[in-house]
Order: sequence, then structure tokens, then C-alpha cells
Amino acid sequence: MATLTLENVAQTYNPGEDPDRWALKPLELTLESGRTYALVGPSGCGKTTLLNILSGLVTPSHGRVTFDGVDVTSTPTRLRNIAQVFQFPVIYRSMTVRDNLAFPLECRGWPRSRIEERVRAVAEALGLADGLDVPASRLSADEKQLISLGRGLVRDDVAAVLMDEPLTVIDPQLKLSLRRKIRQLSDEFAPTVIYVTHDQYEAMTFAQELLVMSEGRLIQRGTPEQLFESPSSTFVGWFVGSPSMNFLRGTLERGAARVGEHLIDLAWSPPVPHGSEVTVGIRPEYIRIVDGGSHPGDASETSVHGRLVAVQDHGESRVCEIQVREQQVAVKVRREVHVPKVGSFVDLGLPRSKCLPYVEGRLATCGD
Amino acid sequence: MTALRRYKVLFLAPGLLTLFLIIIFPLLFTVRVAFSSWNVASPQMDWNAGANFVRMVHDGRFWSSVLHLVVLAGGTVLVEYVIGFALALAVWREVRGRRLLRVLFLVPMMTTPVVMAAVWQMMFHESLGPVNDLLGRIGIAPVPWLTSPGPAYVALMTVEIWQWTPFMMLLMLAGLLSLPREPFMAAAIDGAGPLRTFRRVTFPLLAPVSVTALIIRLIEASKMSDTVYVLTSGGPGSATETPGYYLYIRGLKEQQTGYAGSLSLTYLVLMIVALTIISALLVRAFRSQEELR
Repeated sequence: MATLTLENVAQTYNPGEDPDRWALKPLELTLESGRTYALVGPSGCGKTTLLNILSGLVTPSHGRVTFDGVDVTSTPTRLRNIAQVFQFPVIYRSMTVRDNLAFPLECRGWPRSRIEERVRAVAEALGLADGLDVPASRLSADEKQLISLGRGLVRDDVAAVLMDEPLTVIDPQLKLSLRRKIRQLSDEFAPTVIYVTHDQYEAMTFAQELLVMSEGRLIQRGTPEQLFESPSSTFVGWFVGSPSMNFLRGTLERGAARVGEHLIDLAWSPPVPHGSEVTVGIRPEYIRIVDGGSHPGDASETSVHGRLVAVQDHGESRVCEIQVREQQVAVKVRREVHVPKVGSFVDLGLPRSKCLPYVEGRLATCGD
Repeated sequence: MTALRRYKVLFLAPGLLTLFLIIIFPLLFTVRVAFSSWNVASPQMDWNAGANFVRMVHDGRFWSSVLHLVVLAGGTVLVEYVIGFALALAVWREVRGRRLLRVLFLVPMMTTPVVMAAVWQMMFHESLGPVNDLLGRIGIAPVPWLTSPGPAYVALMTVEIWQWTPFMMLLMLAGLLSLPREPFMAAAIDGAGPLRTFRRVTFPLLAPVSVTALIIRLIEASKMSDTVYVLTSGGPGSATETPGYYLYIRGLKEQQTGYAGSLSLTYLVLMIVALTIISALLVRAFRSQEELR
């Protein structure tokens, strides 16, 4: 286990390219030993590039990579002692399951008996112990992925385990159990894990800390709770959470946001002049549909009037889309909550503490 | 329906006729001739009830030519495989001027065997050839390349290897280029060095290509005769004679058509049996490589 740091690391695949178009913009990052991180972001945001820089499959065009303070920027992959699991299962077709799992240890020159012991432990944890002598090429896709995973976990001295969307090819049913297994293994062996995914549920359930990337930049890092409760930018609010955070454009008026005829109270007043543009961000989970429109909300809640235009059934919950003036607001309600008819007018209760002010796409600081 | 049948026959006829004329008829004719005493003195299709085969069994020169072939073909194909594979590995990754190199490597393959053998004959010439000249410069006495059995083998094999290694390289390179990248990335991550990666990843992945390449070359090499003809004429004595060349002497030079017929039939059957067994063995050897190590 090691603490990994990236010092001013950037990557461009075409030398001389405009820095704004680099695959990875200059980045300072420290990943602490023994923690699990999830790297999330849309396709092409630089997640895999970042991962490959850590494993050494890509040498960054700028900056330094260190493991526990040792510069490894130009150390080849095989000497970095890192484990990486790819999106598609990679196995050595010519070997048995046992030999596949033993391979990384053989490469490190471990004695036979110690390899045997370790392979058995990992195989048991993965549920592969019964088929150790089966040729790996005969297994199904998800079993093969388990082997890839196992090869990553057999080395107990590995600097970090990198996983690049390891569950993409797995059936939805198996995905769940496999995810649990990964979780369990990472608890048991406690390596530093960096897990790339575009599935935010996977990220949130798996990682202690999330790193959100977009267009080659690290946008925000934080615990799942921090990302959910206070996204640092409208991008994070939009990307994390399902459905995305609601954003209502308005203007600042007496410390609140003027959206049409509504004056929405904000959690805090942004430090911008009266009349400037401000966007209210609120999670669909925090909006309440006020029944019948007759109860006025109390002082901690702003009431907003709109028309219900659509309802999506998500199983355990429903997402109502409500037209407020010319803007759309999504409200997530639990299944047992009564939802009015589509087309009817409803009142929404927006709790003041959950209405975050965004100015020019970023969460505004708390200013008086 | 009958019209359709007629068309089928019409369109198939030219091909079938050609096939019959150039393969089936000569084959059947050879079988018939093999049982006759047809030779230059009495060109007649009589029946000598297998006397040719009896003679063949006692013909030590024929059997030693088969042995020569085993050594020559086996040796050259093996060396071609090793060198060809090594060259393919060398130009597999990004190498400057890769395209040009590939074309250059193919030149020997496209040279007419006789022309090439004539060039090599000059190279190996005992007193005038550059090979002995070079050896002399490093203090080695001139080698009688084409007039003493051992060196003659070396010379023959050198020429064959020179001509056919590029073909081997091409096949292995095509195989290498078609391999997925992921196992190599995984091997690097698992910490495998270049040798281990080759032994445990590259080589097993290329097993099917290796089998194909070896078999194609073995089939080709089992026909070896033109190089022998030009370079050593089977000499010294009959030390480098291959069945193909021996057949040429008996059948075309001495016009012992009946006897040559029986020899070529035997040669054909031997080769079919031997190559079938060899391919089966190779496939099995490499398949275990592929599946169970």
C-alpha cells in the first residue's frame, strides 16, 4: 500500500497541442494509502488516462508521479507493483485458473509454498477455489473477470489496485454480487483502490471518496455525502445524483433568488450585488409536493407554484416533472406518496437550507 | 430442373476437365506406368507385377535421399521458424522504416530458385567465392563448400533458409499484429519481464499461427529439388540428393519411366503419411500449449 501523488501531471497525446485540449489538464492529487477512491465522470473525461498514468501504461507528458515519495514517473509498469483490472476480462488463455492467479507472484519470485497459500486464500475469497485446475479459457465472462480481479489482489504488497470499470461486461444480476465481493475483498485486504466508473451508484456505494472529472479536469473530490449535499459546481450537481440536481435561473433580490413571481429563499446569500444572476440548486429529493395547494409552508420553506407535466416511474420512487414558469423542476417522491394527476397545478415546498446559490456555474461562497 | 443441371455441367466442365488433364490423368497414368517396365530402350506399357517396387526396396540411394530430405527439410524449417519469429518480434513494435524493411525482407522469396541458387553457387565457390574469402580474412582455411558432404549440407540449408525465412517472418508478423494488446498490458502490470512475457503470453497466443506456418513450410520443403540441382547436383556423389532430384535423374535423365513412376508414387504416399502425422503432432503439441500449458 502506498500513498500516490501526482504533481502537476498533465497528458497530451499530440505534442504542441493547445493546453485547453489536453486529455488531462495539469493536476495536483494525493491519494492516501489504504483508502478507496472512485473516479467518476462522463466518457472521455480523462479517467482512464489518469489510471494509465498511475499504472505506467502511459507516461505523462508533464509532471511527476510518486509512490510513497519515490519518483516513479519513468518507472516501467512491471516495476511499479501495481494491480489493474480492465473493463474487459483479461486472462492468460494458456494457463489454468491457479496459474493465472499465481502469475503475478511468480513474477515477483515468491517461493512455491507461499504462492500456493496465497492463491488459495484469494481463490476462496472469490469463490473460485473449486475450479483451480480448470483452464481459464473455459470460464464464463464474469468468472474471467473474477480472475482478473484475483490477479490484482493476490499481491498483498501491491502499491494500489486500479479498476477501470470492471463491471461493465457483467450481467446486471451478477453485477450486484460481484460488487459486494469487491467491496468485501477491499475491506479484507485493505489496499489503496482507485475505481473508475461512470456509474455513480457504483461509485457511491463503493468508495470512501469520489473524484469527479470533466474534460480532463478534476472538478471536485469529496465523500459521497459532500458531493450530494453541496456540489461545488452545477456540473457536479448535474452529474452526481439521479435525477440530476434542479437548477433554477433567477436574479438576486434581497438575499433571495427571484424566479418569475417567486422569491426563493437561499441557504445563504451569495456575495454578489443585488440584481445579478444567481442559480438556485436543489436536489429533487428535497422538494415536497404540497397537497391541494392549501397548506402554506412554514418560514423554513419557499412555496413555488407549477404544473405537473410528466411522471416517471422508477420503481421504488417516482420522478415528477413540474413546469415552473419556463423552467423544469424534477421532484423525487417515494412510492407511497400520493402524486396528483398529470396536467394539474401543484405547489412545491423548497426547504431554505437545501436551496444552494450558484453564481456563474460555481457554488457561491458564504458572504454577508 | 434439367436445364439447370445442364448449366451446372456446362459451367463445371472446363474446370473439371483441366483438373482431370493435369492432375487426375497423370496420377492414374503414373500408377499404371509404375507397374510397367517402360524405359528408354523399350517404351511399352507391359505388366511387370511390381518388379519396380521390389527393386526400389533394395535401392539404397533412394532411401538415403529420403533421409537427406528429412535432415534438410526438418533442419531448414526449424531454423527458418526461429529466425523468422525473432525477426518478426524485432519489427513488431514501432520500428523506423518498418514498411521498407518488410518489402526488403520479401525479395529473397520472390527470386527464381534457379537464379538464386546460381548466385549462391558463386558465393560458395571454393576459390573465387566471397564466403571463403571472408573466412580467409579471419584466418579460417578455405572450406570445400560444394564438394564435401558436410559443408554441402550447410550450403544448401543456408540457401533455403535465406530464401524462406522472410516467408516465415511474414506469417509470424501477421500473427503478432493480430494479437490483442490487453494480455501484454496485463503481463506488464503483473510484473512479467520480457522473457517471461514471451514464454507465457506471446508464444502460447501465437501457437495456432506457428502450427500453420510450420506445416506450410514443411510441405513446401518436402519438394526441395531445384536448389539441389543447381547448387550441388546432388553431390558430392549422391550425398545431398533429395527424392525430388533422384526422381529427376531416374525418370528424365535416364528415362527409366516405369521405375521412376514407382518411386514417385512411393514418395507421394510417404510424404502424405509423414506430413499428416507431423501436423497432427504439431497441433497436439501446440494445443496443449494453448489450453493447459
